Amino acid sequence: MAEVTASRADSGNLDLRGDALRVLDHNELFGLAEYVEQHAAKREMEGAPSDEEVGQTLAWSQGWEYRERNFAREALVINPLKACQPLGAVLAALGFAGTLPYVHGSQGCVAYFRSHLSRHFKEPVPAVSSSMTEDAAVFGGQANLIEGIENARALYKPEMIAISTTCMAEVIGDDVKMFLGSAEQAGALPVGFPAPYANTPSFVGSHLTGYDSMLFSILSLLTQDASAEPTVEPTFDPAVEPLVDPAAGPRPRINVLPGFDPYVGNVREIRRLLGQLGVDVTVLGDHSDALDSPADGEYRLYPGGTPLAEVTAAPGALASLPLQAFSTRRSRGLIRDTWGQQVLDVASPIGIRNTDAMLMAVAEATGTEIPAEVTAERGRVVDAITDSHPYVHGNRVAVAGDPDQVLGLLSFLLELGAEPTHILCTSGDAEFEQAAYDVLHASPYGVHATVWTGKDAWHLRSLVLTEPVDLIIGPSHLKGLAREADVPLVRFGFPVFDRHHLHRYPIVGYAGALNLLTWIVNTVLDELDRKAPDYALDIIR
Amino acid sequence: MKVHIPTGIASAADRDDTVDLETVAVEKCSSGSSARRPSCPAPTPGASSGGCAYDGSAITLVPVADVAHLVHGPVGCLGNSWETRGSLSSGPGLHRRAFTTALGEHDVIFGGEGRLLEAILDIGRRFRPAAVFVYLTCVPGLIGDDLEAVCRQAAAELRLPVVPVLAAGFAGTKNAGNRLGGSALLQHVIGTAEPAYTTPHDVNLIGEYNIAGELWQVLPLLDRLGIRVLSRISGDARYAELTWAHRAKASMVVCSRALLSLAADLQDRYGVPWFEGSFYGVRATSAALRGFATVLGDPELADRVEILVAEEEARVATRLAPYRQRLAGVRAVLYTGGVKSWSMVAALQDTGIEVVASGTKKSTPDDVTRIRGLLGADAQLIEEGNPRDLLRIVRESGATLLAAGGRNLYTAMKGRVAFLDVNQERHQAYSGYDGVVALAAEIDRVVSNPVFGTVRRPAPWAVGDLARTRGDARVPIGLAG
Repeated sequence: MAEVTASRADSGNLDLRGDALRVLDHNELFGLAEYVEQHAAKREMEGAPSDEEVGQTLAWSQGWEYRERNFAREALVINPLKACQPLGAVLAALGFAGTLPYVHGSQGCVAYFRSHLSRHFKEPVPAVSSSMTEDAAVFGGQANLIEGIENARALYKPEMIAISTTCMAEVIGDDVKMFLGSAEQAGALPVGFPAPYANTPSFVGSHLTGYDSMLFSILSLLTQDASAEPTVEPTFDPAVEPLVDPAAGPRPRINVLPGFDPYVGNVREIRRLLGQLGVDVTVLGDHSDALDSPADGEYRLYPGGTPLAEVTAAPGALASLPLQAFSTRRSRGLIRDTWGQQVLDVASPIGIRNTDAMLMAVAEATGTEIPAEVTAERGRVVDAITDSHPYVHGNRVAVAGDPDQVLGLLSFLLELGAEPTHILCTSGDAEFEQAAYDVLHASPYGVHATVWTGKDAWHLRSLVLTEPVDLIIGPSHLKGLAREADVPLVRFGFPVFDRHHLHRYPIVGYAGALNLLTWIVNTVLDELDRKAPDYALDIIR
Repeated sequence: MKVHIPTGIASAADRDDTVDLETVAVEKCSSGSSARRPSCPAPTPGASSGGCAYDGSAITLVPVADVAHLVHGPVGCLGNSWETRGSLSSGPGLHRRAFTTALGEHDVIFGGEGRLLEAILDIGRRFRPAAVFVYLTCVPGLIGDDLEAVCRQAAAELRLPVVPVLAAGFAGTKNAGNRLGGSALLQHVIGTAEPAYTTPHDVNLIGEYNIAGELWQVLPLLDRLGIRVLSRISGDARYAELTWAHRAKASMVVCSRALLSLAADLQDRYGVPWFEGSFYGVRATSAALRGFATVLGDPELADRVEILVAEEEARVATRLAPYRQRLAGVRAVLYTGGVKSWSMVAALQDTGIEVVASGTKKSTPDDVTRIRGLLGADAQLIEEGNPRDLLRIVRESGATLLAAGGRNLYTAMKGRVAFLDVNQERHQAYSGYDGVVALAAEIDRVVSNPVFGTVRRPAPWAVGDLARTRGDARVPIGLAG
């Protein structure tokens, strides 16, 4: 055995005094001489190119020439920052009580969705599939769907089964609606059992489209008997009596649509914040408890979610507030056109200005006033920004993520005086691009930014390495780039696999702005300290 | 013929020296003559949700580090899975780049072959990899893209090996995909080149993926014995070494049910004898080393093995002793699939804990016999591991540790039991002699963490325990009024 160094970590709990008992952790073990030699010998055996050649090629791949070739790439996607439709559909289904996400198609997709969501939310994720194999590819998936529904109902006893599809079912042209009729006839599905379905092929759209389609389908099914007229009359006339007296009657109620929300803290924060206005909230759908349940010894298959009866009553609310626009397109249309309900078209309430706009829209729609506590809370967060702005001002930032979160973040970064530089949104479209430029061009700090839609993390690498930034904000997949560019990464959006609990905090509302500010400014300060020479390692920042 | 090596663990095969390859193969969800039709049991609709054949083929082949791995399919197949397995490389990291054709609706209608060809050519020119492996997924499998033809054409243009891996998701389970990945190697890679030189002690390791560096941890042992690993299939492998795997003098199938067929085919085509073993645990590691000596038929090597085994077992016993003492009485439930359902049992037992139940979801009758050999006739076997049943078994057996893969981690947390990750996401190497000590240290860490005391106690006000809790959490006595 190679010599054991004194610096290595002792991973056990034992009070280990002798070297023989020490166990090296994963990072340090293979730094031991014998492994270093092993790797060097292997390098020699495989005839690896010289360090010099590797260095030259790497440097070339970091330059402008390579960037141009990289952006000429057409058929190939490298390091995609995008998930697929049924993953979004599974998340939408998890927002409703007693609902089993069911994916009709081959089974591996579901295994990926469960792992992917589990790794982000650090929670178990229930979901099943039709497990279609070659015979289903030839004969169609009807038998699998019927058997699957029968098994799933027997095993997992759901109140509702939310069915999405994989590419396989879509390519062979499975007609889910007809199959569900057959399942009813076969007795696998009781008549009237809620089984909303959405067509969600991965080769179209993204997880956001899939989320929206499933939400649309659930909302349509559960409210199909609701009339276009509100079933509950507003208890006040905003023009006459703007302030609701809590003692006077039921509090105004609005629907909140979180969208594809990777932060379980958001829904709770919105509920709290609107509660301060005296507004009650029905969340369509609320996956915050499904993906953040207490450790109390019980495994619950369906911990939380919006009760189905609340969904049925949702058309009676005063208005609907989507916290995301791009993942709720169809659902907003349903609410506006079929329910005849006002949709509050505000930007994601990320940052001060966007939260202000959201609160004012809610206050107006519900005839409430924004109370002094909220004004004070806002003031405290604005104060925090004044404390931190010197460190954030002028920082060039690369941002990658999903459309609504990126738009919200851009708005907030501009409020801080940071300079968004490269904005990359793989799942974005022309509308997103326009919206992003609108936000950016409204501020002198945003005029130099470039927005890229449909591009991948390999494009972002070229951008960041040719036009350097001070900070990258985006998902965990960017950590390799952050290391290569020697720039810190603030984890943001989806997925975040390698930092804990960020998703438990809100990023919306004033509290959310404070969280984002804290993560951003402290990352900048950590980096400042890391790079500071001894004489500049100040304890006051 | 498979050479049977006792693993130190009772099994059906141990009792019967004439192991029938055909039977073994069929039982083990591995062989069968058609490359496209694996004989694995079909999954149950509405209940199971394990990985698919594409996933399995990627697990088997993506560890090859200097190859560009291109997934021909819609973005999700790769978008939902890249960078999630801990197969380490000592050199190139090309296998960690995620390449996909990201098929769109247009391709589904008009075919994806053009896009695929362009993507392979782009990769070949941009990255100059040792080879390109192209993975089939459900969509091109259904629309009928001729992957093999496109790969041939691209290979000719690039003058580079371009290997089609035909394991569309609907072709079956993850195990079936492992096996189809092995078939791709046999059909397109193995036997296409010769090693510079050979030695009488050249071996293949099949099904060892260098998770968390487990391969690296074993290599020094083989070095000391003068055994050279000619081909790693596929942990920390390079393309070139796969091409000459047929020149090995023996293969060891490391903990892989599905790749037994690859070893058997190497035997059939090239006469490379093989055995099955594991590097998890003291007993299994010693058995594996002895296995090499037996299969290579070298008495001198056998002597060297005995010397090394005696030394290492003594050394590791000293290191393990304090852990064994601390871990005595710890009861664990193991829930993992296939071969690991017994090999991991042996390793866990070596650390001094008691294994009270083991999952058998992907295990064969032979695996089950081995588990019974290890756990005794009363062993509790878990066939279907839905989270609720898993936790019930944990509770009923008084276990304080659940050893399982990542998807069960958060289930364990809800059930207030400590969790040991034994699948691909872990960051500890448990292989070889030192690996057992690492395993013991890790178990000790997780079971002794104070949070499991906290999580097992209800909130104090829920049980009228206010006085005690407040008594525990008072101000220092000198400050108390």
